[in-house]
Amino acid sequence: MKTIKKVYITIYVLALSCLLSCQKQLDTKPDVRLVVPTELKDIQALLDNYVNINNRDIGSLETSADSYYVTDADYLAFAEQIRNMYAWKNENIFTIGTIPSNNDWYLLYEVINIANNCIDGLSKIDRTPKNAKEWDNIMGQALCLRAKSFLSAAFVWSLAYDDNTAATDPGIVLRLSSDFNIPSARASVKQTYEQVIRDFKEAIRLLDVNQLSVSRFSKPAAYGLLARTYLSMRNYPAAGLYADSCLKLKSTLIDYNTFNAALTFPFAKFNAEVLFGQCLTLTAALNMSRAKIDSSFYRSYADNDLRKTLFFRNNNNGSYAFKGSYDESDKPFAGIATDEVYLMRAECYARAGNISAAMTDLNTLLAKRIKTGTFSAITATNPDDALNKVLTERKKELVFRNVRWMDIKRLNKEGANISLKRIISNETIVLPANSRRFALPLPEEIIRLTGMPQNQY
Amino acid sequence: MKITSIVCLFLLLMGTARSQSTVRGHVRDATNDRPIENVQLHFSVSGKQTISKQDGSFTILLTVPADTLVVTQLNYKTRRIPVRLPFSGSLSITLEPDMSNLEEVIVNTGYQQLPKERATGSFAVVNRSLYNQQVSTDVLSRLDGVANGFIADKKTQQGGVNYTIRGLSTIQGPRQPLIVLDNFPYEGDINNINPNDVESVTLLKDAAAASIWGSRAGNGVIVITTRKSRLNQPLSVEFNANFTFAGKTDLGAIRRIGSPDYIDVERFLYDKGYYASNISSSSRPGLSPVIEILLKKTAGTLSSVQADAQLNALKSIDVRNDFNKYVYQQATRQQYAVTLKGGSNNMAWLLSAGYDKNLTDLAASYTRANLRWESNYRVAKNTMINAGIYLTQSNTGSGRNGYLDISGAGAYKLYPYAQLADNNGNALTIDKLRRSYTDTAGGGRLLDWNYYPLNDYRYNTTSTPAQDVLINLAIQHKLFAGLTADIKYQYEKQQSNQSLLQGLNSYAARDLINRYTQINYVTGDVVNRVPIGAILTNNNSQTESHSIRGQLGFDRSWNEHAVTLLAGAEYRQTDLTGSFFRTYGYDEQLMVAGNVDPTTAYPDFVTGTKSFIGTTNVFSGRYNRFISFFGNGAYTYKGKYTISGSLRKDASNMFGVNTNEKWTPLFSSGITWDVSRESFYRLKALPYLKFRLTYGSSGNADQSKSSVLTIAYSGASPYTQTQYAVIGQYPNPELRWEKVNMLNAGVDFRLKSERLSGTIEYYVKQGRDLFGADQIDYTTGVGTSIIKNAANMTVKGLDIELSSLNTTGKIKWSTTLNFSYNEDKITKLFLSNKQGSAFVGGPGLLSLTRVEGNPVYGIYSYRWAGLDPANGDPMGYLNGQVSKNYTNLTGAATQLSDIVYNGRALPAVFGAIRNTLTYRAFSLSANITYKFNYYFKKESINYSQLFSTGTGHSDYEKRWQQPGDELKTDVISMPYPSNSARDAFYNGSEILVRKGDHIRLQYISLSYEFKKGAGLPLPFQRLQCYMTMNNIGILWRANKDGLDPDYHTATTAVPPPPMSLSLGLRVAF
Repeated sequence: MKTIKKVYITIYVLALSCLLSCQKQLDTKPDVRLVVPTELKDIQALLDNYVNINNRDIGSLETSADSYYVTDADYLAFAEQIRNMYAWKNENIFTIGTIPSNNDWYLLYEVINIANNCIDGLSKIDRTPKNAKEWDNIMGQALCLRAKSFLSAAFVWSLAYDDNTAATDPGIVLRLSSDFNIPSARASVKQTYEQVIRDFKEAIRLLDVNQLSVSRFSKPAAYGLLARTYLSMRNYPAAGLYADSCLKLKSTLIDYNTFNAALTFPFAKFNAEVLFGQCLTLTAALNMSRAKIDSSFYRSYADNDLRKTLFFRNNNNGSYAFKGSYDESDKPFAGIATDEVYLMRAECYARAGNISAAMTDLNTLLAKRIKTGTFSAITATNPDDALNKVLTERKKELVFRNVRWMDIKRLNKEGANISLKRIISNETIVLPANSRRFALPLPEEIIRLTGMPQNQY
Repeated sequence: MKITSIVCLFLLLMGTARSQSTVRGHVRDATNDRPIENVQLHFSVSGKQTISKQDGSFTILLTVPADTLVVTQLNYKTRRIPVRLPFSGSLSITLEPDMSNLEEVIVNTGYQQLPKERATGSFAVVNRSLYNQQVSTDVLSRLDGVANGFIADKKTQQGGVNYTIRGLSTIQGPRQPLIVLDNFPYEGDINNINPNDVESVTLLKDAAAASIWGSRAGNGVIVITTRKSRLNQPLSVEFNANFTFAGKTDLGAIRRIGSPDYIDVERFLYDKGYYASNISSSSRPGLSPVIEILLKKTAGTLSSVQADAQLNALKSIDVRNDFNKYVYQQATRQQYAVTLKGGSNNMAWLLSAGYDKNLTDLAASYTRANLRWESNYRVAKNTMINAGIYLTQSNTGSGRNGYLDISGAGAYKLYPYAQLADNNGNALTIDKLRRSYTDTAGGGRLLDWNYYPLNDYRYNTTSTPAQDVLINLAIQHKLFAGLTADIKYQYEKQQSNQSLLQGLNSYAARDLINRYTQINYVTGDVVNRVPIGAILTNNNSQTESHSIRGQLGFDRSWNEHAVTLLAGAEYRQTDLTGSFFRTYGYDEQLMVAGNVDPTTAYPDFVTGTKSFIGTTNVFSGRYNRFISFFGNGAYTYKGKYTISGSLRKDASNMFGVNTNEKWTPLFSSGITWDVSRESFYRLKALPYLKFRLTYGSSGNADQSKSSVLTIAYSGASPYTQTQYAVIGQYPNPELRWEKVNMLNAGVDFRLKSERLSGTIEYYVKQGRDLFGADQIDYTTGVGTSIIKNAANMTVKGLDIELSSLNTTGKIKWSTTLNFSYNEDKITKLFLSNKQGSAFVGGPGLLSLTRVEGNPVYGIYSYRWAGLDPANGDPMGYLNGQVSKNYTNLTGAATQLSDIVYNGRALPAVFGAIRNTLTYRAFSLSANITYKFNYYFKKESINYSQLFSTGTGHSDYEKRWQQPGDELKTDVISMPYPSNSARDAFYNGSEILVRKGDHIRLQYISLSYEFKKGAGLPLPFQRLQCYMTMNNIGILWRANKDGLDPDYHTATTAVPPPPMSLSLGLRVAF
């Protein structure tokens, strides 16, 4: 009997001690794949999220621009928001509805929040001599991601940068912290661009020149994007300077003679020109089966211009579709590549009156675009001629590269007087040069939720 | 009996003036003279009580000159023995076994078993005979319409059933009641449990009943008690077999647009050029036969007359006929179960085995085999060991593709004039890609690219074998002076290995292989980037849990006092692990696999777009840890007044929460007063009357929420080949626990000779800080909504359960009425979104509406101003003016104050009436359920959907077509282009709201029982034949559209289940 008692006591003591020792089990991680980001690799992992970062830039810039048209039948089959965007209406373009993926405001700020979480997360990780290089490189990527997203937002929802009015023109919401309790407010256009420049400059200081893949921002990519920023502000000396810095690090151009126009998508993804690889989300309007290239624009390419066959697919009904994306897909390329940087530097040289330097850059590029043996260098007689030649080639080279809308806005500020025209059901809709509608309306829901001012038309 | 009488007489004669004496005695079984333990003995005057020991002995103090000793035990008839002072000697009491077991109901809380009459909390018990009136494969579905306060709601969760007890306790949090199997929460698939192993089901409805289960019990607890072995029982064998037939799914109940109308719509859209981009698309989507005919007509290869003739031929086809003929069949369910049990003095055992085999009307199979061993050992005088093992092996197999499973090309659903088979029964194709393309693509170097919906299921099969092992071990040790110590341990491991085999003949495999084929037309070389063969996808998951509980119990009564105490601690851990693999080029015969290159993107054969061959191997691991301390006590004075209380603290490994925040205390308390035991109580007609009152608090924490930012690793980036992560949870440090306080007031009563007995309970649940998703400025980048402690809610309700014996003669007729009234109301709301469209839901799943002063689920709708007589446009009101600005009518311009609140979306009144007639060996039961006071929204035509997906409601035929139609119809005209806001306005308008009230005949159950000894020389004790008809149908409904308000009325949802008939046999040896 005594032994039985001892056995019981042992069992109870064991059970009790088991229960007490369970306390430390409460520190078990509830989900193995869920991690509190505390290491550099965690932050880098967030920035390698290609689904949200590389595969999903916004579509409203190209959808609004003049590189294409759609038939009436296709237009009428669109959802109302896409019809409104295509026809430059002033309301009901971005609604959250059930599919947030159609709402560029949502998409951009989601990415901005990822960047802010990375920046805030990094600030909690000690930068030591041992990890400094990696820490800097990751911080640089996060800053670049935020700046590029801010810049895209400014292109969509703000008027073109104008020194005279930038301090009062409504810009975008500059969210600089991951704290979602901070209310949203619109900064001015001036503040917006200052922030973008600050972020890019800091990123340039921190970033590595070469990354594992061009899906990550690198130092030359940041230079290129900073040049694009200054170009959109019409600060041409600065744009030229940073374009030059970019090309000093990476200036590869691919020779179009080596590509096969018979392929569905002739250009390889992440080809040697790509500085930062990204594509945009297709809107219904930009779908290859609907977006048609204006035939006069198509004819503006010379027959020995390889872009004529590498960029465009004959729909066999008198219209053409664009197939020349550097994404090697039906999704237009939305990152940045060296060809754009050459064209930026050329334009800045031309505007500065340096004709020969402008023509050298232009010819360096065109030599890779024209059929071998038929290329003859372009010359310019004066700075204006040089500029016009650069701008003509810019439009032809950077078709469906997500920069046309920005170009129209800034060039109109230079007096280019580009007004856009759509013909829908025999009705002609005109978007006059310098119209306030070049800034798209913010989502109505956001205005209602935040009380921020809507763009005025 | 004689002895006791003599003793009593002797005592009477011996009468002296002593003020009290100790009464000793023994209780024995009248049939076999065995001692009976756990017999309750109490004096009706003094209230003193005791319980007999294992050897049947007892002692109790007699304090008044004359008293009556009431002797009760669950399985025996109650006896009342008068005792007078002075007393000496000993009482020898014999009890007659009571087969009816009606006297006392035992409630099992999972921590303790106690007679319902001694409980302060609110319980609903479904005993075995009631539970077995229905036939089902699973254990829970039989409770619907049977258990008081329990409702199965099919409208708030996609493809599933939400079982709730007493309505909602939370708005956004988890809603399922906690399911407990015997002693511990059941972590496996609840469908593993064989209903033949169930002895009873207890619903713990109020805070006092449920608080012992802590934070997971906020929604109530369902305790399933399995059949148990008992000591001192002869060997018994019981066998049960039944067979169920169920009709085919009624495809006619899916109100889709018919072929003639749909062909007209396609023609109309074709003429408008709607299909132009599809026709010229480089992704070559398949076009419907009508569009192909129209294209040929346009091209001139078909004359106008020929085209019309072909179209007319298609108009007469209804694909549902083909489905009825070739696809659907009668569903069958077979169930067999056998139970053996027996028990000696020191050992009791039970062995049961069950086998179920089901075939759905789509020939999807489900088989389940159960084996259970349960045993009790008396290892020493004071020590019992209980050990059990429960094994389940099940297999779920896929069946044919039903009407809702087969779709057309791209986003299009199956066109209504599709044909599955030709006149000889050979499978026909549905074009996923254009025929003119697939016929020539690849020049014969590709696999057949046709899709044969009738046969495809043969090559695309899913099989999910699952095993579950449940092991129980418990030791109970009686220490001294009413103190017992218990240790219970449970181990459970469930493993499921789903394999999806897409054979080489399946469309999915052929399509993928073709798309990753590269052909060099010059050399003729063919490279298959996805190797030719089947595609095998394995999805394995495993749940492993350990639970251990140590518990000290104290149960003692002395003089007029009785105390029961329970205290203990519990630890549970559940590990859920999983893995997911995909194998290409699999050969089932040789069991060999091919290789793919997942790091290179290859062009799609059709579109040229490059993509990676997905070989995502995913592993997952989730680990839940809970520690709890609990205590529970009750004190009874004179058998009349009971006061009870319980306290529990829970802690878990919630992510990122500091340990001290993980702990949350929960409590409850209660009192009862048995008025009928008072000396002043004189109501003879109402011999039993007891009042109960409880109050307690429970909580609810969302385990998925975190106070720090978490990220989730999601796979490897194909660009950097490094692991990438997405943000998992945004920190939400302000989130607090939900708190629910619940008050329950009840009265239990019984009329003389049980003519009428029942329980009436009133309860109030007050929820504070309930979670709610609030719309958030998505500039913050954290999504469109965020969970907040957003609302307070009050739920008031009444549960009435009445049982009556209407006749007791040859024909016994009894009635049970369950009546529940449950009304929830949001009392405070901190949400900002007041836009009307956030509250107006469609006809499908109910969405949370949440308006202060209204229920959690409400039906809201746009004000309806009729159809525009000029063109059949719907009209609404904007700022009091008739308007057709649909963007504003459904947008920010229409606020909550501008829309109509029609009423509740979930019934406020529900319950069942069950009548049972017994004549000789016949027994007939019919259960009628009812739901009142709620609304639903009928589905109607949505032109945006009709155009873009080819699904439309048959209301199309009633649409406005010409002026004057507005007098006959409310269905809007067809516009072009479609306008989604116009559709949203119409489908959200009040014109489509219907009352949901209905009465349903849920089941009829008929049985006949042969008993041994009734003049029949039978080789068994009992033989029961039974028949049950289930889902018989709606007897009355408020809506005139013939709709079943309990189910989604959408054209894309499975219609209500057809009637089923079960035939069965139960034999006991």
